[in-house]
Amino acid sequence: MSSDDDIRKPFLEFAGPNGAYYANVFLKIQKATLNRTHLNPVALVGSFVWAALRGSWLLFTIGFVIDLVAAINVALYFKFAKAAVDNVDRAYLVERYEGWSESHIIAAVVIFILGRLLFSWLADRLYVIQYNRWRINNSVNSGVSLTRLVIVTIVSVLIVPPMIYRASQFSPDARTCIKQDRAIDRGEEVSFKARFDCFAIGEFPTLFWIDRPDQISFPRDENGERIVQRTPPREGSPPVNLNTLVAQKIDDGIGYVTVFYAFLFDEITRLLRTMLTAITSVFVGTPWPVTMGVLLFVAYRMAGIRTTIFVGASLIYLALFGFWQTAMDTLSLVVAASIICVVIGLPTGIWVGKSKRAQFIVTPILDVMQTIPSFVYLLPAIAFFSIGKPPGILATVIFAAPPMVRLTALGIRQVSEDTKEAALAFGANPRQLLTKVELPLALPSIMAGINQVVMMSLSMVVIAALIGAGGMGYIVTEALENTETGRGVLAGVGIALLAMMIDRVVQKANLGRR
Amino acid sequence: MTDSSRANVVETRNVWKIFGDRAGEALEAVRRDNLSKDEVLERFDAVVGVRDVSISAGAGEIFCIMGLSGSGKSTLVRHINRLIEPTAGEILVNGVNVGMLKPEELLAMRAESIGMVFQNMALLPHRTVRDNIAFALELRNVDIFTRNNVADKVIELVSLKGYGDRYPSELSGGMQQRVGLARALAADPDILLMDEPFSALDPLIRRGLQDEFLELSASMKKTTLFITHDLDEAIRMGSRIAIMKDGEIVQTGTPEEIVTKPADDYVADFVAGISKLRLVYAHTVMIHIEEFESRGSKLPAIEECPRAHPEDDLDKLIGLAVNQENPVIIMDDSTPVGVVTKDALLRGIQGET
Ligand SMILES: Nc1ncnc2c1ncn2[C@@H]1O[C@H](COP(=O)(O)OP(=O)(O)O)[C@@H](O)[C@H]1O
Ligand SMILES: [Mg+2]
Repeated sequence: MSSDDDIRKPFLEFAGPNGAYYANVFLKIQKATLNRTHLNPVALVGSFVWAALRGSWLLFTIGFVIDLVAAINVALYFKFAKAAVDNVDRAYLVERYEGWSESHIIAAVVIFILGRLLFSWLADRLYVIQYNRWRINNSVNSGVSLTRLVIVTIVSVLIVPPMIYRASQFSPDARTCIKQDRAIDRGEEVSFKARFDCFAIGEFPTLFWIDRPDQISFPRDENGERIVQRTPPREGSPPVNLNTLVAQKIDDGIGYVTVFYAFLFDEITRLLRTMLTAITSVFVGTPWPVTMGVLLFVAYRMAGIRTTIFVGASLIYLALFGFWQTAMDTLSLVVAASIICVVIGLPTGIWVGKSKRAQFIVTPILDVMQTIPSFVYLLPAIAFFSIGKPPGILATVIFAAPPMVRLTALGIRQVSEDTKEAALAFGANPRQLLTKVELPLALPSIMAGINQVVMMSLSMVVIAALIGAGGMGYIVTEALENTETGRGVLAGVGIALLAMMIDRVVQKANLGRR
Repeated sequence: MTDSSRANVVETRNVWKIFGDRAGEALEAVRRDNLSKDEVLERFDAVVGVRDVSISAGAGEIFCIMGLSGSGKSTLVRHINRLIEPTAGEILVNGVNVGMLKPEELLAMRAESIGMVFQNMALLPHRTVRDNIAFALELRNVDIFTRNNVADKVIELVSLKGYGDRYPSELSGGMQQRVGLARALAADPDILLMDEPFSALDPLIRRGLQDEFLELSASMKKTTLFITHDLDEAIRMGSRIAIMKDGEIVQTGTPEEIVTKPADDYVADFVAGISKLRLVYAHTVMIHIEEFESRGSKLPAIEECPRAHPEDDLDKLIGLAVNQENPVIIMDDSTPVGVVTKDALLRGIQGET
């Protein structure tokens, strides 16, 4: 039938060799009649070589990775099997290595078989996508080409041997390599294999060594004034690498600032402490029946009866298990941190929302602030403010402020140009535009920001217990140190309830207003 | 209608607007080499929005600006209250050069003497109808009591009584645009800028609002720049119409002038589908009495012919000509000035005069 030939023609043209098979399969795929368990037999055997010939780099990568992982597991099997034999005199090592070698060989077999099956199952189903792209753009790889095979062979030769070698060797640790570097400096003989292993399969080699920098300290002079004193390193002390050098410089910088600008940090600390005291006196200083009543009332007004019941139950839990004071302590910290976040975040967010340049500057900073693991913030907090609640609040603010800025900016930017234009047409000045149009329209987004700030503050305040911020987190840290699992679990549940309580109330309040 | 003795309330003089970083450069080149919009885009990556436009609207007039989408109507009208700064040229409002106003004066002018209505209403969703309408007053720090009073009066004016405490989202499109209109009227400005105010509405509602606006306008006599992409609407609303194409004004005139004497093929294409019955008047289609007689045609006795006034439209003439053998005689006071034969009438309906 000639029309049938017409239908098959583009398939044949695309596939080249073995075109009849692909025309058949592609037709079935288009008619949705392809058998669910259909496998491409050539791909099953040829794997990534087949994919390379056909020019599908996606399939090539899949097939190559599957086979490579299987091969690496085989190498690991041999490595540990050999290690077991080498350490035959130490029973515990033999047992360990034999266990490992066994699991690696099992992994190798399973990955190889399942991987190949998966690959040949995917083969035609992905290859047809390449066909579709080829229909749109004829420069997409089609047919079979030996050049691609050559490229692939070169790539494989470059990748496979080092991978297998790395897997079959125990890699030297950084310390061994540093020692070896020194030995080479002293002119000692080091075997080529040891050198190669340090260079290629351990930590990235230290390419250059730097003279140890001066030691800096800040003693007082005869008048009691602090001075900067540099002590050169001892004669013959070994050089340092980049990490050590920069870390040392950072420490020096922090030391300098804390010594000579101590008044600044003292002032900030005092400010924070004052604010916290005020808030704490409300939460902790009020007798529990009053606080509980007020909290329940607020929950009821803001979020309705169901949430109030939940809040009531949570408060009773905290009270019965003796967490009341601690929980109020934590709440004070959360409130203090959240207030600071909003006070700083709202104007910043407005600025970022209105100015392209501000967005350009602030966005990367926010990205960094949010990607750094939360407990890293504890380090500079301690460095500048020592330990206690004020640095705890500061770390919390750094951690929890980004969403405030982001969501405020988002809300401001979302206000439609048309609405703003209308306001301008009626004579609004920039301040009126902000207060009467942009902020009210951005309010839902801003409230979502506040919600996030509160939740993130709570999670960070718990972590800040590590630097002496106290509260519920302190009970957990203490429990961790003394392995008191039971106490830890009870406090953990308390923290979770506290978080859910705040979240429910703030969220419901948000929804209700919209 | 083009009464030159009337003061020009709004006037633009050779206004150019070119969008893009290299607007200045582009302007020079366009002026020198008379480049087209496409050429400017290609050579300077700049868009010609408005091209050497001079218009003037007199007090109380509804001046329509008509053109296809992208022809620069919105851009032009936003120069009047300086939402857009011209690349060249000047804009005068009540004889004052808008470009010279200090920031505070500009804000006052926007709030007090110019009201604007937008195609997409652009109401503030978080404010009630009343607070939307009183927005311009609020920006001028008028007290709440006065504000509400004024707003309630305007609400009645646009037939929205009882809706003052609703939010815009609770209103239909037509009602929202009434709010838009009321907001523009609240500060009692002399000038209304209406940027396709009825384009987003259903035909029936649009028709109703057009009539209502004409009525309001007749009593309030506000100088109005009315933008539309619909010639029918322009003809219904406008005492004069300016037709824009690619940022340029290609023709300005009364609806009749536009319809009967289109300046070029572009305008002619627009006009082609328009019914002339109410736009073309007897004096346009009539044959002057001397000419009629000089052709040697015999004029029947005046008493046996239907008679009409030179300002009567074709619709009226058709009514007179039906069931009549004799042509219609056009009388100015009591002297016959012209004759409309059936042939001339049919030509007139077709638009050929
Ligand atoms: N802010 C702007 N930046 C760049 N080009 C613009 C801008 N505003 C309008 N334009 C261009 O100017 C021309 C006229 O637009 P506009 O005045 O909105 O037309 P209309 O209102 O007649 O539909 C269009 O080509 C449009 O793309
Ligand atoms: Mg427009």
